Amino acid sequence: MPEQLLQQIVNGLLIGFMYSLIAIGLTLIWGVMNIVNFAHGEFLMIGMFTSFWLFSVYGLDPLFSIPICFLLLFVMGMFIYRFIVSKVMKGPMLAQLVVTFGVSIFLSNLAVYLWTPDFRLIPPTILQGTWEFGELNLSIPKTVASIGSIITSVCLFLFLRKSKTGKAILATEMDREAALLMGINTERINSLSFGIGAALVGVAGAFLSTYYYIYPQVGGLFGLIAFSIVALGGFGSIEGAFIAGVLVGLAQTLGGFFFDPAYKYAIVFMIYLITIWIRPQGLLGW
Amino acid sequence: MKAKSWITICLSMSLLLVFSGPVLAQGVIKIGGVYPLSGNIASTGLDCKRGVDLAVDIINGKYGKELDLPMAKTGGLPNLGGAKLEVVYADTKGEPKNGMSETERLVTQEKVVAIIGAYQSSVTKTASQATERLKVPYVCSDSSSPTLTERGFKYFFRVSPHDAIFAKDWFQFLKDVEKKTGKKVATVAILYENTEFGSNVGKYARKYAEEFGYKVVADISYAANATDVTSEVGNLIKSRPDVLMHASYITDAILFTKTFKEMGFAPKGILTMAGYIEPGYLPAVRADGNNIIVRSTFALDLGKKKPLVTKVSQLFKKKYGIDMSENAARSFMAPFVLADAFNRAKSTNSEAVVKALLETNISANQVIYPWKGIKFDPQSHQNIYAQGGLVQVQNEQYVTVWPFASAAKDVVWPFPGWKGKKK
Amino acid sequence: MKSLSLKQITVGLAVLVLLLIFPLVVTQIFPLQVMILVFMYAMLGVAWNIMGGYAGMFSFGQAAFFGIGAYTSSFLLMTFHVNPWIGLIAGGLVAALVAAAIGYPCSNLRGHYFAIASIAFAEIVRVHFNNWTLVNAAEGISLPMLDESFINFMFHNSKVPYYYIMLAFLILALVVCYFVATSKMGYYFRAIRESHDVAEVLGVNVVRYRLIAIMISAFLSAMAGTFYAQYVLYIDPESVMLLAISIQIVLLSMLGGAGSIMGPVIGAAVLIPIAEVTRVWLGHRGTGVDMLIYGFLITIISVYQPQGVWGLLSRIGNRIK
Repeated sequence: MPEQLLQQIVNGLLIGFMYSLIAIGLTLIWGVMNIVNFAHGEFLMIGMFTSFWLFSVYGLDPLFSIPICFLLLFVMGMFIYRFIVSKVMKGPMLAQLVVTFGVSIFLSNLAVYLWTPDFRLIPPTILQGTWEFGELNLSIPKTVASIGSIITSVCLFLFLRKSKTGKAILATEMDREAALLMGINTERINSLSFGIGAALVGVAGAFLSTYYYIYPQVGGLFGLIAFSIVALGGFGSIEGAFIAGVLVGLAQTLGGFFFDPAYKYAIVFMIYLITIWIRPQGLLGW
Repeated sequence: MKAKSWITICLSMSLLLVFSGPVLAQGVIKIGGVYPLSGNIASTGLDCKRGVDLAVDIINGKYGKELDLPMAKTGGLPNLGGAKLEVVYADTKGEPKNGMSETERLVTQEKVVAIIGAYQSSVTKTASQATERLKVPYVCSDSSSPTLTERGFKYFFRVSPHDAIFAKDWFQFLKDVEKKTGKKVATVAILYENTEFGSNVGKYARKYAEEFGYKVVADISYAANATDVTSEVGNLIKSRPDVLMHASYITDAILFTKTFKEMGFAPKGILTMAGYIEPGYLPAVRADGNNIIVRSTFALDLGKKKPLVTKVSQLFKKKYGIDMSENAARSFMAPFVLADAFNRAKSTNSEAVVKALLETNISANQVIYPWKGIKFDPQSHQNIYAQGGLVQVQNEQYVTVWPFASAAKDVVWPFPGWKGKKK
Repeated sequence: MKSLSLKQITVGLAVLVLLLIFPLVVTQIFPLQVMILVFMYAMLGVAWNIMGGYAGMFSFGQAAFFGIGAYTSSFLLMTFHVNPWIGLIAGGLVAALVAAAIGYPCSNLRGHYFAIASIAFAEIVRVHFNNWTLVNAAEGISLPMLDESFINFMFHNSKVPYYYIMLAFLILALVVCYFVATSKMGYYFRAIRESHDVAEVLGVNVVRYRLIAIMISAFLSAMAGTFYAQYVLYIDPESVMLLAISIQIVLLSMLGGAGSIMGPVIGAAVLIPIAEVTRVWLGHRGTGVDMLIYGFLITIISVYQPQGVWGLLSRIGNRIK
């Protein structure tokens, strides 16, 4: 096996699982209510800052702040849905596209105002170091984050398929009118889904903060990549987003390794375009 | 268009008219400071502002009267009736078009007589194009693109060293350290972020590698805000360089340091620029930064050989509560150069000031850097005495290690590897 | 779309006269600079509107065309000393061609898919230009300083000629938009916007009209790009191809009222001065308060007045009748 190839594949998977975790929340929101949440990256940023402040002020290890990030972002998501997004649901498509942009600009600059534009990093805590398997170096924080992503995705999957609320969410995703006719309170489902979507990316933020630097605009690139992933996987499909996340992680790393690191993200976007041309509904979308 | 809409437009326009009418105070010389005070790079912009503000305080005699800096003893400009200096700041948000418009606004509306700034070379480019059009002097001490002094501009002067000088320093250091330790270096890898700053460094690094006789085994450019850099580091590991040369901003410096450690990339030497000396870098990476070498024009331990440095940094710490950083130190010098020129010209008239700037000859013991002084080349207007130095992180502190003659401590060479990595 | 009423024409002419004499009355640089930016962004908004507001293709990648226009003319000027006015046309053509090339495979993408595809496209273009040595990659192009003249499309001593040129460009864009909106093509565009499939069933050649809309939009955006290059005299991928520019174009068009001719103009007239003024006023304290207000405004507008200011004014206008 060519040198570094295994290492790069592993790294591609590790970043891919993180992307997946970020993307499943976005695809849930899209699937249920047809809104692309352009503020998704900012939710990630808030998750990261929450984890950071809990650590700085209370010394709480980021792993333990996961539930707090989940709850905080859940409440925030529901709030934003109820008071902002729900009001544009009946409006023109453009308003729906733009309103989350407004929220995104507001949130990232609120972060600048409150916390300054400086870069923060959480120093290594419980999770630190690298596992070595021969030639292979496995970053512990990234591996834990990947495991966390898989567990979270499985939990979401089970929730959607097994619980009553979850099934209601899926029903609304598939056919809104039919769901209404079946007596499902679609407004409540919307609100819940937005909250869960935000909570999921909040958890991603907590994991990401264990190894990536934190600052108000950090959501930008992650958000963009997430849109690509969601579209690639098919808007609304959790499984699709999960797989697409891993694929994009691999593409980015291997593309950067074999081709040209400067074009890494161009490759990611190119994949999106090609998929969309050949198969517009994405890999697993409907 | 409906009537109401042109009312809206008129209202907006009248808002603008409010922002006119400068006020010229008596005995005050206004210069414009153009910096990124908001946006991504705001923390650096604010850092530069601290350096400028301290300089202006010293020039105006607020403190530092005992220092051997231009105008410090007199408090104000003696040849202009003790006039004080005032800086009017403008926020560029880091965008070149704002560099141009803010400079124009400062000159034509606020009536500043000179401009300093703008840290980012792309913004300095447009800002200085504006000053060249408006025929106003521009003294830059914090932008490092070599192209700035290759344009043949009449009104633009640069005090600090530029990236070609810094790149050359890297190689000069390699030659020196080979001689000192007897350990040969044959190959280098060049790694740089892909905006103007990094690509320029990459260009000059390639040039000097050839001149100095080193083989370039990897030449990698990347996006500074990357989410992950494992592919770049993978390529570096594959190429097995003796020495790595890295031009980065702070975010990529942090990410790469962590990834180097994670993937076990440990060449014989890591030589870096810019991002590794930003105030946020060491607090973020802590001990992982140890033994990395960074180019610098300023380090606190210069004070050992130059007491002025210690005195100035103490003043800085007293005023702001934090140590003086390299950015603040670089921006610190421009107001002095201007004050000195205004004073000798006995005027703020552009032509007179430019003439005075060309005659600038500030001596070595009046600058807080390891330079022989400040004197501008008559053609390019680059300070011919500007040079860089190298510092190394030792015990999470920056220590001057090169030139060896002004070093505070010996350089640790080769790079001893990463601590506490394995599990 | 009704043709213009006498009242509208009178008001329009009055405003035009005001704009024409503005630089003779207000001579300070800052207001002139802001007005020039307003005109430029208004033009970009009008260009966007043709494909977005009218044909329903919400592009978040207009900066790519803006940048292609700027780079084409600047590159031709720098390397082959081609006159910038010719470069202007060349830039427009190149942008239109690229638009067609990307528009064709995207011709059956809808709504959000199209929006994200446009972002993907623009980012690919930006990354490419950032690494393309032919155009100096990340270093950007510093336009050679030519002698000041209209032929050279460069003025050093005053902003006023730039003001009039940009105003003329804007009026040109508005005229194009007017013709598009009131012609049969405009009806086809709106049909496509309302429902792709229905339009197709009714015999509208959806692909062809989508391509036309994109190409016109690209051409006009590229013109604005060339203007920018001649005005600021330095371009690099970060300053002309940034996603933030594309987003701003959409936001101001929406604020003013997408789908109406004057909508983007109003949007630009309101948003740009606010952005510039709050930056001068508040920005230098380094706390991003100006963008905070901006984001807040956008959100509020989307929620409470999605038809934009134009929609608001129309409602008031109707009630007054």
